[in-house]
Amino acid sequence: MVARLKLVMGAQGRLTVGRVLLWIIGLWLAYMWILPFVWMVSTSFKLPGEVMTQTIEWIPRTWTLDNYRVVFQKPIVRWLWNSMVVTTSITLASIMLGAAAGYALARMNFPGRNVFFMMLLLSLMIPTEMTIVPRFIAFLRLRATDSYAALILPPIAEVFSVYLFRQFFLSLPRELEEAAAMDGASRFRIFRVIALPLARATTIAAAVLLFTTNWNAFLWPLLITFSEEMKTLPIGMAAFAPVTMNRTQIESYAPGMAAMTILGVPSLIVFLFLQRYFMEGVISTGIKG
Amino acid sequence: MTTRQLPADTSLRTRLGRMTWKGERIEWSAYFYVLPFFVPFVIFTILAIIFGAYVSFTEWRIIGDPLWVGFANYVRAFNDDFVPKVWGNTFQLAAIVVPGTTILALLFALYVNQRLRGFTASRLAFYAPRVVSVTVVGLVWVWMLDTRFGVINQYLHKVGVPYIPWLTNPDWVLWAVGMTTIWWDLGFHMVILLAALQDIPSELKDSASIDGASALQQFWYVVVPLLRPAISLVITLEIISAFRIFSQIFVMTQGGPAGASFSIIFYIYERGFMNTELGYSSALSLMLFFTILVVTLIQLRIIRERA
Repeated sequence: MVARLKLVMGAQGRLTVGRVLLWIIGLWLAYMWILPFVWMVSTSFKLPGEVMTQTIEWIPRTWTLDNYRVVFQKPIVRWLWNSMVVTTSITLASIMLGAAAGYALARMNFPGRNVFFMMLLLSLMIPTEMTIVPRFIAFLRLRATDSYAALILPPIAEVFSVYLFRQFFLSLPRELEEAAAMDGASRFRIFRVIALPLARATTIAAAVLLFTTNWNAFLWPLLITFSEEMKTLPIGMAAFAPVTMNRTQIESYAPGMAAMTILGVPSLIVFLFLQRYFMEGVISTGIKG
Repeated sequence: MTTRQLPADTSLRTRLGRMTWKGERIEWSAYFYVLPFFVPFVIFTILAIIFGAYVSFTEWRIIGDPLWVGFANYVRAFNDDFVPKVWGNTFQLAAIVVPGTTILALLFALYVNQRLRGFTASRLAFYAPRVVSVTVVGLVWVWMLDTRFGVINQYLHKVGVPYIPWLTNPDWVLWAVGMTTIWWDLGFHMVILLAALQDIPSELKDSASIDGASALQQFWYVVVPLLRPAISLVITLEIISAFRIFSQIFVMTQGGPAGASFSIIFYIYERGFMNTELGYSSALSLMLFFTILVVTLIQLRIIRERA
Protein backbone atom coordinates (compact mmCIF):
# COMPACT_ATOMS: atom_id res chain seq x y z
CA MET A 1 0.00 0.00 0.00
CA VAL A 2 2.70 2.45 1.05
CA ALA A 3 4.82 1.48 -1.91
CA ARG A 4 1.91 1.94 -4.29
CA LEU A 5 1.07 5.36 -2.84
CA LYS A 6 4.70 6.35 -3.20
CA LEU A 7 4.59 5.31 -6.83
CA VAL A 8 1.42 7.33 -7.45
CA MET A 9 2.74 10.43 -5.73
CA GLY A 10 6.17 10.21 -7.28
CA ALA A 11 7.57 10.80 -3.80
CA GLN A 12 11.18 10.22 -2.90
CA GLY A 13 12.30 9.79 0.68
CA ARG A 14 10.07 9.21 3.67
CA LEU A 15 6.34 8.96 3.17
CA THR A 16 4.54 10.93 5.86
CA VAL A 17 0.93 11.93 6.40
CA GLY A 18 2.07 15.50 5.83
CA ARG A 19 3.45 14.74 2.40
CA VAL A 20 0.36 12.85 1.31
CA LEU A 21 -1.79 15.77 2.46
CA LEU A 22 0.50 18.25 0.68
CA TRP A 23 0.22 16.22 -2.51
CA ILE A 24 -3.58 16.18 -2.38
CA ILE A 25 -3.96 19.85 -1.40
CA GLY A 26 -1.43 20.97 -4.01
CA LEU A 27 -3.17 19.17 -6.85
CA TRP A 28 -6.56 20.41 -5.64
CA LEU A 29 -5.31 24.01 -5.60
CA ALA A 30 -3.83 23.69 -9.08
CA TYR A 31 -7.20 22.40 -10.25
CA MET A 32 -9.02 25.29 -8.56
CA TRP A 33 -6.58 27.73 -10.14
CA ILE A 34 -7.64 26.88 -13.69
CA LEU A 35 -11.37 26.58 -12.97
CA PRO A 36 -12.00 30.24 -13.97
CA PHE A 37 -10.83 29.32 -17.47
CA VAL A 38 -13.11 26.28 -17.53
CA TRP A 39 -16.01 28.47 -16.41
CA MET A 40 -15.17 30.99 -19.13
CA VAL A 41 -15.18 28.37 -21.89
CA SER A 42 -18.28 26.69 -20.52
CA THR A 43 -20.25 29.95 -20.35
CA SER A 44 -19.20 30.86 -23.88
CA PHE A 45 -21.08 27.84 -25.28
CA LYS A 46 -24.29 28.43 -23.32
CA LEU A 47 -27.48 29.96 -24.64
CA PRO A 48 -27.71 33.49 -23.18
CA GLY A 49 -30.95 32.50 -21.45
CA GLU A 50 -29.22 29.57 -19.73
CA VAL A 51 -26.30 31.52 -18.31
CA MET A 52 -27.96 32.83 -15.16
CA THR A 53 -29.03 29.68 -13.40
CA GLN A 54 -30.14 28.89 -9.87
CA THR A 55 -27.57 26.12 -9.58
CA ILE A 56 -24.08 25.96 -11.01
CA GLU A 57 -23.96 24.20 -14.35
CA TRP A 58 -20.43 23.46 -15.49
CA ILE A 59 -21.65 21.80 -18.67
CA PRO A 60 -23.98 23.79 -20.95
CA ARG A 61 -27.52 22.43 -21.15
CA THR A 62 -27.66 23.37 -24.82
CA TRP A 63 -24.45 23.87 -26.76
CA THR A 64 -24.50 26.89 -29.03
CA LEU A 65 -22.17 28.95 -31.18
CA ASP A 66 -24.48 32.00 -31.13
CA ASN A 67 -22.20 33.90 -28.76
CA TYR A 68 -19.28 33.50 -31.14
CA ARG A 69 -21.45 34.85 -33.94
CA VAL A 70 -22.16 37.93 -31.83
CA VAL A 71 -18.44 38.43 -31.24
CA PHE A 72 -17.63 38.11 -34.92
CA GLN A 73 -19.98 40.98 -35.69
CA LYS A 74 -17.20 43.18 -34.30
CA PRO A 75 -14.11 43.68 -36.49
CA ILE A 76 -12.11 41.19 -34.46
CA VAL A 77 -10.12 39.91 -37.43
CA ARG A 78 -8.90 43.46 -37.94
CA TRP A 79 -8.08 43.76 -34.21
CA LEU A 80 -6.21 40.47 -34.34
CA TRP A 81 -4.24 41.70 -37.35
CA ASN A 82 -3.42 44.96 -35.54
CA SER A 83 -2.24 43.07 -32.48
CA MET A 84 -0.07 40.80 -34.63
CA VAL A 85 1.54 43.65 -36.56
CA VAL A 86 2.10 45.81 -33.49
CA THR A 87 3.35 43.08 -31.18
CA THR A 88 5.63 41.46 -33.75
CA SER A 89 7.18 44.79 -34.72
CA ILE A 90 7.79 45.82 -31.12
CA THR A 91 9.28 42.43 -30.23
CA LEU A 92 11.63 42.32 -33.22
CA ALA A 93 12.73 45.93 -32.77
CA SER A 94 13.26 45.55 -29.01
CA ILE A 95 15.33 42.42 -29.53
CA MET A 96 17.53 43.99 -32.21
CA LEU A 97 18.05 47.28 -30.39
CA GLY A 98 18.48 45.49 -27.07
CA ALA A 99 21.00 42.95 -28.35
CA ALA A 100 23.16 45.59 -30.03
CA ALA A 101 23.11 48.03 -27.11
CA GLY A 102 23.56 45.22 -24.58
CA TYR A 103 26.57 43.91 -26.49
CA ALA A 104 28.23 47.32 -26.70
CA LEU A 105 27.64 47.95 -23.00
CA ALA A 106 29.14 44.59 -22.10
CA ARG A 107 32.10 44.47 -24.48
CA MET A 108 33.08 47.77 -26.01
CA ASN A 109 35.00 50.69 -24.54
CA PHE A 110 33.65 54.16 -25.30
CA PRO A 111 33.09 57.45 -23.48
CA GLY A 112 29.61 57.64 -22.01
CA ARG A 113 29.22 53.93 -21.40
CA ASN A 114 28.68 54.33 -17.68
CA VAL A 115 26.35 57.27 -18.17
CA PHE A 116 24.23 55.19 -20.53
CA PHE A 117 24.11 52.34 -18.08
CA MET A 118 23.17 54.57 -15.13
CA MET A 119 20.36 56.05 -17.19
CA LEU A 120 19.02 52.57 -17.82
CA LEU A 121 19.16 51.61 -14.16
CA LEU A 122 17.41 54.79 -13.09
CA SER A 123 14.69 54.40 -15.68
CA LEU A 124 13.80 51.00 -14.20
CA MET A 125 12.40 52.93 -11.23
CA ILE A 126 10.17 55.12 -13.38
CA PRO A 127 6.64 53.86 -13.82
CA THR A 128 5.68 53.92 -17.51
CA GLU A 129 2.43 55.61 -16.49
CA MET A 130 4.47 58.76 -15.84
CA THR A 131 5.38 59.09 -19.47
CA ILE A 132 1.83 58.52 -20.69
CA VAL A 133 0.56 62.12 -20.65
CA PRO A 134 3.61 63.66 -22.39
CA ARG A 135 3.72 60.88 -24.98
CA PHE A 136 0.04 61.35 -25.63
CA ILE A 137 0.42 65.11 -26.11
CA ALA A 138 3.39 64.60 -28.42
CA PHE A 139 1.50 62.21 -30.69
CA LEU A 140 -1.54 64.46 -30.60
CA ARG A 141 0.52 67.48 -31.66
CA LEU A 142 2.16 65.49 -34.45
CA ARG A 143 -1.34 64.39 -35.54
CA ALA A 144 -0.07 60.83 -35.29
CA THR A 145 -2.55 59.29 -32.85
CA ASP A 146 -4.61 56.31 -33.89
CA SER A 147 -1.79 54.93 -36.05
CA TYR A 148 0.62 51.99 -36.08
CA ALA A 149 3.50 54.41 -35.43
CA ALA A 150 1.87 55.56 -32.20
CA LEU A 151 1.27 51.97 -31.09
CA ILE A 152 4.71 50.66 -32.05
CA LEU A 153 7.30 53.41 -31.47
CA PRO A 154 7.04 54.26 -27.75
CA PRO A 155 7.45 50.70 -26.43
CA ILE A 156 10.40 49.66 -28.65
CA ALA A 157 13.10 51.12 -26.38
CA GLU A 158 12.62 48.36 -23.81
CA VAL A 159 15.26 48.68 -21.08
CA PHE A 160 14.67 45.15 -19.89
CA SER A 161 15.85 43.77 -23.24
CA VAL A 162 19.17 45.68 -23.09
CA TYR A 163 19.69 44.59 -19.53
CA LEU A 164 19.07 40.93 -20.31
CA PHE A 165 21.53 40.93 -23.23
CA ARG A 166 24.16 42.88 -21.31
CA GLN A 167 24.02 40.36 -18.47
CA PHE A 168 24.32 37.49 -20.90
CA PHE A 169 27.29 38.92 -22.82
CA LEU A 170 29.08 39.75 -19.57
CA SER A 171 28.73 36.11 -18.53
CA LEU A 172 30.12 34.89 -21.85
CA PRO A 173 33.87 34.09 -21.81
CA ARG A 174 35.85 36.51 -23.97
CA GLU A 175 38.28 33.95 -25.43
CA LEU A 176 36.20 33.00 -28.43
CA GLU A 177 35.76 36.60 -29.50
CA GLU A 178 39.41 37.39 -28.88
CA ALA A 179 40.50 34.49 -31.06
CA ALA A 180 38.28 35.76 -33.86
CA ALA A 181 39.72 39.26 -33.45
CA MET A 182 43.25 37.78 -33.79
CA ASP A 183 42.16 36.26 -37.08
CA GLY A 184 41.22 39.74 -38.22
CA ALA A 185 37.43 39.57 -37.92
CA SER A 186 35.76 42.95 -37.59
CA ARG A 187 33.77 43.84 -34.50
CA PHE A 188 30.48 43.60 -36.37
CA ARG A 189 31.42 40.17 -37.71
CA ILE A 190 32.32 38.96 -34.23
CA PHE A 191 29.01 40.26 -32.89
CA ARG A 192 26.92 38.76 -35.66
CA VAL A 193 28.69 35.45 -36.25
CA ILE A 194 29.96 34.55 -32.78
CA ALA A 195 28.29 36.44 -29.94
CA LEU A 196 24.72 36.67 -31.19
CA PRO A 197 24.25 32.98 -32.07
CA LEU A 198 25.45 32.07 -28.58
CA ALA A 199 22.73 34.29 -27.12
CA ARG A 200 19.99 32.11 -28.61
CA ALA A 201 18.39 31.15 -25.29
CA THR A 202 18.47 34.75 -24.05
CA THR A 203 16.91 35.90 -27.30
CA ILE A 204 14.07 33.42 -27.05
CA ALA A 205 13.40 34.19 -23.37
CA ALA A 206 13.40 37.93 -24.08
CA ALA A 207 11.20 37.47 -27.15
CA VAL A 208 8.61 35.43 -25.28
CA LEU A 209 8.45 37.94 -22.46
CA LEU A 210 8.34 40.97 -24.77
CA PHE A 211 5.72 39.35 -26.95
CA THR A 212 3.34 38.53 -24.07
CA THR A 213 3.83 41.89 -22.37
CA ASN A 214 3.06 43.79 -25.55
CA TRP A 215 0.32 41.44 -26.71
CA ASN A 216 -1.46 42.13 -23.43
CA ALA A 217 -0.56 45.85 -23.25
CA PHE A 218 -3.55 47.84 -22.11
CA LEU A 219 -3.15 51.46 -21.03
CA TRP A 220 -1.22 52.92 -23.98
CA PRO A 221 -3.22 51.23 -26.77
CA LEU A 222 -6.41 52.24 -24.93
CA LEU A 223 -5.42 55.91 -24.95
CA ILE A 224 -3.87 56.23 -28.37
CA THR A 225 -6.50 54.45 -30.48
CA PHE A 226 -9.84 56.08 -31.20
CA SER A 227 -11.27 54.30 -34.23
CA GLU A 228 -12.52 50.73 -34.23
CA GLU A 229 -10.09 49.86 -37.05
CA MET A 230 -6.97 50.74 -35.05
CA LYS A 231 -7.81 48.95 -31.80
CA THR A 232 -5.73 46.02 -30.65
CA LEU A 233 -7.44 42.80 -29.61
CA PRO A 234 -7.46 43.34 -25.80
CA ILE A 235 -8.79 46.89 -26.20
CA GLY A 236 -11.46 45.95 -28.70
CA MET A 237 -12.57 42.97 -26.62
CA ALA A 238 -12.80 45.13 -23.48
CA ALA A 239 -15.99 46.52 -25.00
CA PHE A 240 -17.61 43.24 -23.95
CA ALA A 241 -17.13 44.11 -20.29
CA PRO A 242 -20.59 44.49 -18.77
CA VAL A 243 -19.46 47.68 -16.99
CA THR A 244 -18.68 49.50 -20.19
CA MET A 245 -21.62 47.95 -22.01
CA ASN A 246 -24.77 47.96 -19.99
CA ARG A 247 -25.01 46.41 -16.58
CA THR A 248 -28.68 45.62 -16.91
CA GLN A 249 -28.05 43.68 -20.06
CA ILE A 250 -27.38 40.54 -18.13
CA GLU A 251 -27.19 38.17 -21.06
CA SER A 252 -24.00 39.99 -22.12
CA TYR A 253 -21.97 37.54 -20.04
CA ALA A 254 -22.35 34.84 -22.67
CA PRO A 255 -20.93 36.76 -25.68
CA GLY A 256 -18.44 38.34 -23.31
CA MET A 257 -17.10 34.93 -22.35
CA ALA A 258 -16.97 33.91 -26.03
CA ALA A 259 -14.86 37.01 -26.68
CA MET A 260 -12.61 36.17 -23.73
CA THR A 261 -12.21 32.59 -24.96
CA ILE A 262 -11.08 33.87 -28.36
CA LEU A 263 -8.69 36.29 -26.64
CA GLY A 264 -7.35 34.02 -23.91
CA VAL A 265 -7.18 30.47 -25.21
CA PRO A 266 -4.55 31.09 -27.95
CA SER A 267 -2.25 32.66 -25.32
CA LEU A 268 -2.73 29.64 -23.08
CA ILE A 269 -1.91 27.24 -25.92
CA VAL A 270 1.26 29.13 -26.83
CA PHE A 271 2.22 29.11 -23.15
CA LEU A 272 1.72 25.36 -22.97
CA PHE A 273 4.22 24.83 -25.78
CA LEU A 274 6.79 27.44 -24.76
CA GLN A 275 6.44 27.24 -20.98
CA ARG A 276 10.15 26.65 -20.42
CA TYR A 277 11.00 30.00 -22.03
CA PHE A 278 8.30 31.78 -20.06
CA MET A 279 9.83 30.54 -16.81
CA GLU A 280 13.35 31.44 -17.94
CA GLY A 281 12.19 34.92 -18.82
CA VAL A 282 10.71 35.40 -15.36
CA ILE A 283 13.83 34.11 -13.67
CA SER A 284 16.00 36.55 -15.62
CA THR A 285 13.66 39.37 -14.52
CA GLY A 286 14.21 38.16 -11.00
CA ILE A 287 17.96 38.38 -11.36
CA LYS A 288 17.52 41.88 -12.75
CA GLY A 289 16.03 43.18 -9.49
CA MET B 1 61.35 72.19 -35.86
CA THR B 2 60.18 68.96 -37.46
CA THR B 3 61.53 66.57 -34.85
CA ARG B 4 58.62 66.38 -32.40
CA GLN B 5 55.80 66.92 -34.87
CA LEU B 6 53.49 64.09 -35.85
CA PRO B 7 54.00 62.73 -39.36
CA ALA B 8 52.10 64.81 -41.89
CA ASP B 9 49.98 61.90 -43.09
CA THR B 10 48.28 61.48 -39.71
CA SER B 11 44.65 61.78 -40.65
CA LEU B 12 41.76 62.37 -38.30
CA ARG B 13 40.93 58.73 -38.74
CA THR B 14 44.18 57.40 -37.31
CA ARG B 15 44.19 59.96 -34.53
CA LEU B 16 40.69 58.91 -33.50
CA GLY B 17 41.86 55.33 -33.66
CA ARG B 18 44.63 56.10 -31.16
CA MET B 19 42.43 57.84 -28.65
CA THR B 20 41.91 56.08 -25.35
CA TRP B 21 39.28 56.11 -22.62
CA LYS B 22 40.08 54.76 -19.17
CA GLY B 23 43.39 53.45 -20.46
CA GLU B 24 41.92 51.49 -23.34
CA ARG B 25 41.48 52.23 -27.01
CA ILE B 26 38.07 53.72 -27.81
CA GLU B 27 35.86 51.69 -30.12
CA TRP B 28 33.98 54.44 -31.90
CA SER B 29 31.73 51.96 -33.68
CA ALA B 30 30.12 51.28 -30.28
CA TYR B 31 27.86 54.27 -30.88
CA PHE B 32 26.34 52.47 -33.86
CA TYR B 33 25.33 49.69 -31.48
CA VAL B 34 24.10 51.95 -28.70
CA LEU B 35 22.37 54.84 -30.46
CA PRO B 36 19.57 52.91 -32.22
CA PHE B 37 18.39 52.03 -28.73
CA PHE B 38 19.23 55.26 -26.95
CA VAL B 39 17.65 57.66 -29.42
CA PRO B 40 14.11 56.28 -28.96
CA PHE B 41 14.86 55.69 -25.28
CA VAL B 42 15.82 59.33 -24.73
CA ILE B 43 12.86 60.59 -26.74
CA PHE B 44 10.16 58.37 -25.28
CA THR B 45 11.41 58.14 -21.71
CA ILE B 46 13.87 60.86 -20.71
CA LEU B 47 12.43 63.73 -22.75
CA ALA B 48 8.91 62.54 -21.99
CA ILE B 49 9.59 62.80 -18.27
CA ILE B 50 11.09 66.28 -18.59
CA PHE B 51 8.19 67.38 -20.78
CA GLY B 52 5.75 65.80 -18.30
CA ALA B 53 7.34 67.80 -15.49
CA TYR B 54 6.81 70.96 -17.53
CA VAL B 55 3.19 70.06 -18.27
CA SER B 56 2.56 69.63 -14.54
CA PHE B 57 3.18 73.37 -14.09
CA THR B 58 0.63 74.32 -16.74
CA GLU B 59 -3.04 74.18 -17.42
CA TRP B 60 -3.54 72.29 -20.61
CA ARG B 61 -6.83 71.01 -21.94
CA ILE B 62 -5.48 69.22 -25.04
CA ILE B 63 -6.95 71.82 -27.38
CA GLY B 64 -5.09 75.14 -27.34
CA ASP B 65 -1.79 76.06 -25.77
CA PRO B 66 -0.48 75.36 -22.30
CA LEU B 67 -0.90 78.10 -19.73
CA TRP B 68 1.84 78.42 -17.11
CA VAL B 69 0.26 78.21 -13.66
CA GLY B 70 3.28 77.57 -11.42
CA PHE B 71 2.55 75.27 -8.48
CA ALA B 72 -1.22 75.58 -8.79
CA ASN B 73 -1.67 71.93 -9.78
CA TYR B 74 0.36 70.77 -6.80
CA VAL B 75 -1.52 73.08 -4.43
CA ARG B 76 -4.72 71.68 -5.86
CA ALA B 77 -3.53 68.10 -5.34
CA PHE B 78 -2.91 68.82 -1.66
CA ASN B 79 -6.38 70.35 -1.27
CA ASP B 80 -8.22 67.78 -3.40
CA ASP B 81 -10.35 65.67 -1.05
CA PHE B 82 -10.30 62.85 -3.54
CA VAL B 83 -6.50 62.49 -3.49
CA PRO B 84 -6.28 61.05 0.06
CA LYS B 85 -9.20 58.76 -0.78
CA VAL B 86 -7.48 57.52 -3.92
CA TRP B 87 -4.22 56.94 -2.03
CA GLY B 88 -6.20 55.22 0.72
CA ASN B 89 -7.76 52.86 -1.83
CA THR B 90 -4.36 52.15 -3.36
CA PHE B 91 -2.82 51.39 0.05
CA GLN B 92 -5.75 49.16 0.98
CA LEU B 93 -5.32 47.25 -2.26
CA ALA B 94 -1.59 46.94 -1.57
CA ALA B 95 -2.39 45.70 1.95
CA ILE B 96 -4.49 42.91 0.43
CA VAL B 97 -2.40 42.05 -2.61
CA VAL B 98 1.17 42.24 -1.26
CA PRO B 99 0.88 39.92 1.76
CA GLY B 100 -1.66 37.72 -0.04
CA THR B 101 0.54 37.16 -3.07
CA THR B 102 3.77 36.78 -1.08
CA ILE B 103 2.42 34.17 1.34
CA LEU B 104 0.53 32.17 -1.27
CA ALA B 105 3.39 32.36 -3.78
CA LEU B 106 5.78 31.07 -1.12
CA LEU B 107 3.46 28.21 -0.13
CA PHE B 108 2.85 27.26 -3.76
CA ALA B 109 6.58 27.40 -4.50
CA LEU B 110 7.32 25.17 -1.50
CA TYR B 111 4.73 22.67 -2.71
CA VAL B 112 5.99 22.64 -6.30
CA ASN B 113 9.57 22.30 -5.04
CA GLN B 114 8.65 18.99 -3.33
CA ARG B 115 8.43 17.50 -6.83
CA LEU B 116 5.50 15.28 -5.96
CA ARG B 117 3.83 13.70 -8.98
CA GLY B 118 1.96 16.29 -11.01
CA PHE B 119 4.13 19.20 -9.92
CA THR B 120 4.87 20.30 -13.49
CA ALA B 121 1.18 20.49 -14.28
CA SER B 122 0.57 22.40 -11.05
CA ARG B 123 3.29 24.89 -11.90
CA LEU B 124 1.69 25.42 -15.30
CA ALA B 125 -1.72 25.92 -13.71
CA PHE B 126 -0.44 28.46 -11.20
CA TYR B 127 1.37 30.45 -13.89
CA ALA B 128 -1.39 30.29 -16.53
CA PRO B 129 -3.39 33.41 -15.50
CA ARG B 130 -0.27 35.51 -16.06
CA VAL B 131 -0.18 34.80 -19.78
CA VAL B 132 -3.67 35.99 -20.70
CA SER B 133 -4.69 39.59 -21.23
CA VAL B 134 -5.97 41.54 -18.24
CA THR B 135 -9.20 41.95 -20.18
CA VAL B 136 -9.76 38.21 -19.86
CA VAL B 137 -8.78 38.16 -16.20
CA GLY B 138 -11.03 41.07 -15.30
CA LEU B 139 -14.06 40.01 -17.28
CA VAL B 140 -14.00 36.36 -16.16
CA TRP B 141 -13.81 37.50 -12.53
CA VAL B 142 -16.62 40.02 -12.97
CA TRP B 143 -18.78 37.13 -14.09
CA MET B 144 -17.58 34.81 -11.31
CA LEU B 145 -18.14 37.55 -8.70
CA ASP B 146 -21.68 38.34 -9.86
CA THR B 147 -23.74 38.79 -6.70
CA ARG B 148 -26.63 36.47 -7.47
CA PHE B 149 -25.43 34.17 -10.24
CA GLY B 150 -21.64 34.15 -9.94
CA VAL B 151 -20.02 30.81 -9.16
CA ILE B 152 -18.23 32.16 -6.10
CA ASN B 153 -21.35 33.35 -4.33
CA GLN B 154 -23.29 30.28 -5.39
CA TYR B 155 -20.70 27.98 -3.78
CA LEU B 156 -20.45 30.23 -0.72
CA HIS B 157 -24.23 30.20 -0.45
CA LYS B 158 -24.20 26.40 -0.38
CA VAL B 159 -22.18 26.52 2.84
CA GLY B 160 -24.47 29.15 4.35
CA VAL B 161 -22.68 32.40 3.49
CA PRO B 162 -25.11 35.15 2.40
CA TYR B 163 -24.69 36.60 -1.09
CA ILE B 164 -21.78 39.06 -1.04
CA PRO B 165 -22.14 42.15 -3.26
CA TRP B 166 -18.50 41.93 -4.38
CA LEU B 167 -18.50 44.57 -7.09
CA THR B 168 -21.46 46.70 -6.11
CA ASN B 169 -20.65 47.45 -2.47
CA PRO B 170 -17.87 49.93 -1.54
CA ASP B 171 -16.77 47.72 1.38
CA TRP B 172 -16.21 44.65 -0.78
CA VAL B 173 -14.98 45.98 -4.08
CA LEU B 174 -11.30 46.26 -3.12
CA TRP B 175 -11.37 42.66 -1.86
CA ALA B 176 -12.80 41.60 -5.20
CA VAL B 177 -10.14 43.47 -7.19
CA GLY B 178 -7.46 42.22 -4.76
CA MET B 179 -8.48 38.57 -5.14
CA THR B 180 -8.45 38.92 -8.91
CA THR B 181 -5.00 40.51 -8.81
CA ILE B 182 -3.62 37.74 -6.61
CA TRP B 183 -4.94 35.10 -8.99
CA TRP B 184 -3.41 36.94 -11.93
CA ASP B 185 0.01 37.80 -10.43
CA LEU B 186 0.83 34.88 -8.20
CA GLY B 187 2.49 32.62 -10.79
CA PHE B 188 5.12 35.20 -11.69
CA HIS B 189 6.29 35.59 -8.09
CA MET B 190 6.05 31.86 -7.46
CA VAL B 191 8.52 31.22 -10.29
CA ILE B 192 11.03 33.72 -8.81
CA LEU B 193 10.75 32.08 -5.38
CA LEU B 194 10.97 28.62 -6.92
CA ALA B 195 14.23 29.53 -8.65
CA ALA B 196 15.60 30.76 -5.32
CA LEU B 197 14.44 27.57 -3.55
CA GLN B 198 16.21 25.42 -6.10
CA ASP B 199 19.45 27.31 -5.46
CA ILE B 200 19.48 26.20 -1.82
CA PRO B 201 21.99 23.35 -1.53
CA SER B 202 20.26 20.24 -0.21
CA GLU B 203 23.32 19.46 1.96
CA LEU B 204 22.31 22.35 4.22
CA LYS B 205 18.91 20.85 4.91
CA ASP B 206 20.37 17.36 5.22
CA SER B 207 22.87 18.43 7.84
CA ALA B 208 20.14 20.29 9.72
CA SER B 209 17.98 17.18 9.74
CA ILE B 210 20.90 15.02 10.93
CA ASP B 211 21.26 17.48 13.80
CA GLY B 212 17.65 16.67 14.66
CA ALA B 213 15.84 19.69 13.23
CA SER B 214 12.17 19.10 12.42
CA ALA B 215 10.78 20.00 9.01
CA LEU B 216 9.37 23.24 10.44
CA GLN B 217 12.68 24.12 12.09
CA GLN B 218 14.53 23.37 8.86
CA PHE B 219 12.17 25.67 7.02
CA TRP B 220 12.45 28.50 9.55
CA TYR B 221 16.19 28.37 10.29
CA VAL B 222 17.62 27.18 6.98
CA VAL B 223 15.22 27.95 4.13
CA VAL B 224 13.77 31.32 5.16
CA PRO B 225 17.11 33.10 5.78
CA LEU B 226 18.43 31.90 2.43
CA LEU B 227 15.24 32.96 0.68
CA ARG B 228 15.29 36.44 2.20
CA PRO B 229 16.77 38.25 -0.85
CA ALA B 230 14.23 36.61 -3.18
CA ILE B 231 11.36 37.41 -0.81
CA SER B 232 12.49 41.05 -0.57
CA LEU B 233 12.64 41.24 -4.34
CA VAL B 234 9.16 39.78 -4.69
CA ILE B 235 7.78 42.23 -2.11
CA THR B 236 9.44 45.21 -3.84
CA LEU B 237 8.04 44.20 -7.24
CA GLU B 238 4.60 43.67 -5.71
CA ILE B 239 4.54 47.04 -3.96
CA ILE B 240 5.54 48.80 -7.18
CA SER B 241 2.90 46.97 -9.17
CA ALA B 242 0.27 47.60 -6.47
CA PHE B 243 0.89 51.34 -6.86
CA ARG B 244 0.35 50.93 -10.57
CA ILE B 245 -2.92 48.98 -10.54
CA PHE B 246 -5.05 50.25 -13.37
CA SER B 247 -6.27 47.76 -15.96
CA GLN B 248 -8.12 45.49 -13.54
CA ILE B 249 -10.05 48.51 -12.30
CA PHE B 250 -10.71 49.76 -15.80
CA VAL B 251 -12.15 46.40 -16.85
CA MET B 252 -13.90 45.41 -13.62
CA THR B 253 -15.29 48.51 -11.91
CA GLN B 254 -14.38 51.77 -13.69
CA GLY B 255 -13.51 53.07 -10.22
CA GLY B 256 -16.94 52.38 -8.79
CA PRO B 257 -19.11 51.95 -6.87
CA ALA B 258 -19.10 55.58 -5.65
CA GLY B 259 -15.36 55.95 -6.27
CA ALA B 260 -14.56 53.13 -3.84
CA SER B 261 -12.11 51.46 -6.22
CA PHE B 262 -10.38 54.50 -7.71
CA SER B 263 -6.66 53.72 -7.64
CA ILE B 264 -4.09 56.46 -8.05
CA ILE B 265 -3.37 55.58 -11.69
CA PHE B 266 -7.05 55.31 -12.45
CA TYR B 267 -7.48 58.83 -11.04
CA ILE B 268 -4.58 60.10 -13.19
CA TYR B 269 -6.28 58.52 -16.20
CA GLU B 270 -9.70 59.89 -15.29
CA ARG B 271 -8.42 63.47 -14.75
CA GLY B 272 -6.13 63.52 -17.77
CA PHE B 273 -8.12 61.68 -20.37
CA MET B 274 -11.75 61.75 -19.33
CA ASN B 275 -11.66 65.37 -18.13
CA THR B 276 -8.73 66.54 -20.31
CA GLU B 277 -6.93 68.11 -17.34
CA LEU B 278 -3.48 67.16 -18.58
CA GLY B 279 -1.60 69.53 -16.27
CA TYR B 280 -3.24 68.25 -13.13
CA SER B 281 -2.89 64.68 -14.33
CA SER B 282 0.87 65.22 -14.87
CA ALA B 283 1.28 66.71 -11.41
CA LEU B 284 -0.40 63.65 -9.91
CA SER B 285 1.84 61.26 -11.87
CA LEU B 286 4.97 63.14 -10.78
CA MET B 287 3.87 62.77 -7.18
CA LEU B 288 3.31 59.06 -7.74
CA PHE B 289 6.77 58.77 -9.25
CA PHE B 290 8.40 60.33 -6.18
CA THR B 291 6.40 58.06 -3.90
CA ILE B 292 7.53 54.97 -5.80
CA LEU B 293 11.11 56.24 -5.80
CA VAL B 294 11.09 56.77 -2.03
CA VAL B 295 9.52 53.36 -1.39
CA THR B 296 12.04 51.66 -3.67
CA LEU B 297 14.98 53.42 -2.03
CA ILE B 298 13.75 52.52 1.47
CA GLN B 299 13.30 48.92 0.34
CA LEU B 300 16.81 48.83 -1.13
CA ARG B 301 18.23 50.33 2.06
CA ILE B 302 16.45 47.68 4.17
CA ILE B 303 17.72 44.88 1.93
CA ARG B 304 21.29 46.25 2.01
CA GLU B 305 21.29 46.57 5.78
CA ARG B 306 20.08 43.02 6.25
CA ALA B 307 22.54 41.59 3.81
